[in-house]
Amino acid sequence: MRFLCSGCYALFLALLIFIGQSSPSAAQNAPEKAALCASCHGQDGVPLDPTIPVIWGQNEGYLYIQLRDFARGARKNDQMAAVVQQLSKEDMQALAAYFSKQPWPNLGQKAPPSDIVKKAEAIANSAQCPQCHLGGYLGAGVQPRLAGQSQTYLRKTMTDFRSGARANNDWMTALLKTYSDADIAALAAYLAGF
Amino acid sequence: MSKIWKTTTMLAALAGLGLLGLNRAQADEVGQSTIYGDLTFVTQDMLNQAEHDGNNFLMTHGNYSQTRYYPNSQINAFNVQHLHPAWIFQTDVMESMETAPIVVNGVMYVTTSFDHVFALNARTGEQLWEYKHKLGPISVYCCGPNNRGVAVYENMVYLATLDAKLVALNAKTGKVVWQTELADPELGYSETMAPTVVNGKVLIGTNGGEYGIRGFVRAYDAKTGKLLWNFHTIPENSVGVWGTKDATGHDLHRDIAAEKAALAKLGDPYKRLGGGVWQNPAVDLKLNRIYFNVGNPSPDLDGSPRPGDNLYTDSLVSLDLDTGKYVCHYQYIPHDVWDLDAVSPAVLVDVKDNDGKIVPGVIHAGKTGYVYVNDRRDCHLIRFSEPMVPQENMFALPTHGIGTRMLPGANGGVEWSPMAVDPHLSLAYAINLHQPMHYSVAEAAYPAGKLWLGGAFKVIPGEPQWGNITAVDYDTGKIAWQVRTEQPMIGGVLATGGGLVFTGEGNGYFKAYDSKTGAELWRFQAGAGVNAPPSSYTVEGKQYIVVGAGGNTQLDYKRGNAIIAFTLY
Ligand code: HEC
Ligand code: HEC
Repeated sequence: MRFLCSGCYALFLALLIFIGQSSPSAAQNAPEKAALCASCHGQDGVPLDPTIPVIWGQNEGYLYIQLRDFARGARKNDQMAAVVQQLSKEDMQALAAYFSKQPWPNLGQKAPPSDIVKKAEAIANSAQCPQCHLGGYLGAGVQPRLAGQSQTYLRKTMTDFRSGARANNDWMTALLKTYSDADIAALAAYLAGF
Repeated sequence: MSKIWKTTTMLAALAGLGLLGLNRAQADEVGQSTIYGDLTFVTQDMLNQAEHDGNNFLMTHGNYSQTRYYPNSQINAFNVQHLHPAWIFQTDVMESMETAPIVVNGVMYVTTSFDHVFALNARTGEQLWEYKHKLGPISVYCCGPNNRGVAVYENMVYLATLDAKLVALNAKTGKVVWQTELADPELGYSETMAPTVVNGKVLIGTNGGEYGIRGFVRAYDAKTGKLLWNFHTIPENSVGVWGTKDATGHDLHRDIAAEKAALAKLGDPYKRLGGGVWQNPAVDLKLNRIYFNVGNPSPDLDGSPRPGDNLYTDSLVSLDLDTGKYVCHYQYIPHDVWDLDAVSPAVLVDVKDNDGKIVPGVIHAGKTGYVYVNDRRDCHLIRFSEPMVPQENMFALPTHGIGTRMLPGANGGVEWSPMAVDPHLSLAYAINLHQPMHYSVAEAAYPAGKLWLGGAFKVIPGEPQWGNITAVDYDTGKIAWQVRTEQPMIGGVLATGGGLVFTGEGNGYFKAYDSKTGAELWRFQAGAGVNAPPSSYTVEGKQYIVVGAGGNTQLDYKRGNAIIAFTLY
């Protein structure tokens, strides 16, 4: 396991133990479990590490499907695997509803230089990214918002789709297979600064 | 001056000017709508007569035969150049618009992406009410958050939603009367089609052929929302007759031995075989049957997990209206691995059979680029049209890697876009896409409700794309006329008693053509893609043409949020 944020890991472990020990009944409501998430995804929605995605203000359906996929092992990540072990389907739905209602944080990422923007726009047009991620890259339902997401995370997760390390969407894998590292870097910079 | 009197004199004046080709029956109907004022109650009798109704536009495709032929002729080939906007209504949703406006005695119902419904004053465009469906967290859809409109019956308005619910609204207030879940959206079920209501039954199919669902058509009780019958579009024995050719005699390159071996190993694949239904069923009131087309099998491009003909995918199906029991079917492409399915609605017309005898026909336009003509009694194929778009390398199998180049592309030919028919000319008007694509296959396990294409169809960069409007004589299968458009076409067609055909384009143009010759007679720039089926109606003696200009997600045509009504005066 590789943890980039040592402070938050300690906090996370403590919370994990705390939540694990408390009653496993459905009485644990969303905000209580949400406290655990804050140790990595941020108290104020700004993730503690750029490899961790923003989940505040992300679309509800998408959040739930990701939690479900981590639980099923369809999407693999050691940190999240440990987290979702604790969660029932109802917990996941409640967490998804809760985080989707929080405001999307401003990570202060600027739009990249115009040559990068041009390159990214050319790819986005030919691959029809907005067909699913919709206008302004805000997504809806189970389609994720990409606009303003952490650049480092976007790059990592697209690279993971391409290699198959993230294997919970065959379509995104097939689509990104045709793009180079430089293409993916341009897309990540473009979407982060959108 | 009484309202009736005013209308009558105005009609008389217009007729005197030679502007109206109204017959007596139509004039009576105009009078009736004003005698009773804003009567929004829709009787079964009104629906049965929709074909002859010169005032209202009561169903997504005009009437139960789905001809999209509006009988009034006030707006006609001689005066259409004077057509201009009467009003513009802007919705609060700026996304793909596929709604077919419904008009009942001066009240119009339109829908938007993400399932908002608006009731408008059809004279002015003024909003009467709005219903915003509260979408559940999960809504899974392949091709944009679209909605194609509502159905009206008695004092209710019916909507099917992206999160797979069927909703009945009070037509006066837009308040929910009942709501029922059709299926689990987490498994890939969703709704974009408009329901059809007949004899107290709300008929509805489902999307999801891209997600490994098991498709259905159902009837729900219009008053209560109770399920009356369910027909699985995929029967438990989906294997069929191991057909090696499509309806037009092309070889499908099936490896039947390998499929039989797979069947022995995997069993019948019916549970996740797809078979969505994208458009309203047509209703034959005499035979008491419905007719609809079933979409592609799942996964779209990879046939290996689904041995057999994959019944009733890519088929015309007919059911008994009262019971939902199977009557007959005709499969156009057994074991489709191109997504060249049947998604445009079935249209009921009288057609000549091959001996020149008039028989009850059912026609539709395929993604293959053919118009198919079947016999309504036993579903058999009478003929198919000349191809409306270039077909190259047809039914070459998708390959690994970059894939096989084949025409037409996976959007068609004809997509979900409804045809219109002019029964006096025996012509059907279809809008087509020309989009060269690479078809590739990539085996993938069932992804539990996520997009399951089993490969990809990708537009070939650099190759020209375009569209056309094609008039097909369904008695001969011959193309009567064809007009090229700058872009691939998606949306729908309306034909009118005024000798006109209306359809819109992705570049924002909404145009009228001479229904006999295809000559362009009028155009209007709407400022956003006109990719929705037009409707027409008459209030207080004034005929309107109405259409949505909201662009299209699937083809990425410029989005907008306008409903535009046009009139002459
Ligand atoms: C130990 C740190 C950590 C904790 C605690 C944590 N997460 Fe995560 N989470 C991550 C990382 C890292 C990723 C990115 C995984 C990847 O790259 O695939 C992630 C990804 C996600 C995603 C996917 C987002 C996307 O855009 O795809 C969701 C949803 C999510 N987490 C929700 C939660 C919730 C809800 C909680 C609390 C119950 C939580 N996480 C707790 C580290 C954590
Ligand atoms: C056919 C629809 C479709 C198209 C086209 C599409 N995507 Fe996606 N994309 C999705 C879906 C659905 C997901 C969610 C995947 C999942 O369920 O895990 C996704 C996920 C993503 C993610 C992960 C977001 C996160 O928070 O982890 C990124 C990044 C992304 N897409 C980028 C793109 C880019 C860039 C393009 C164009 C090159 C594109 N997508 C085109 C459907 C699509």
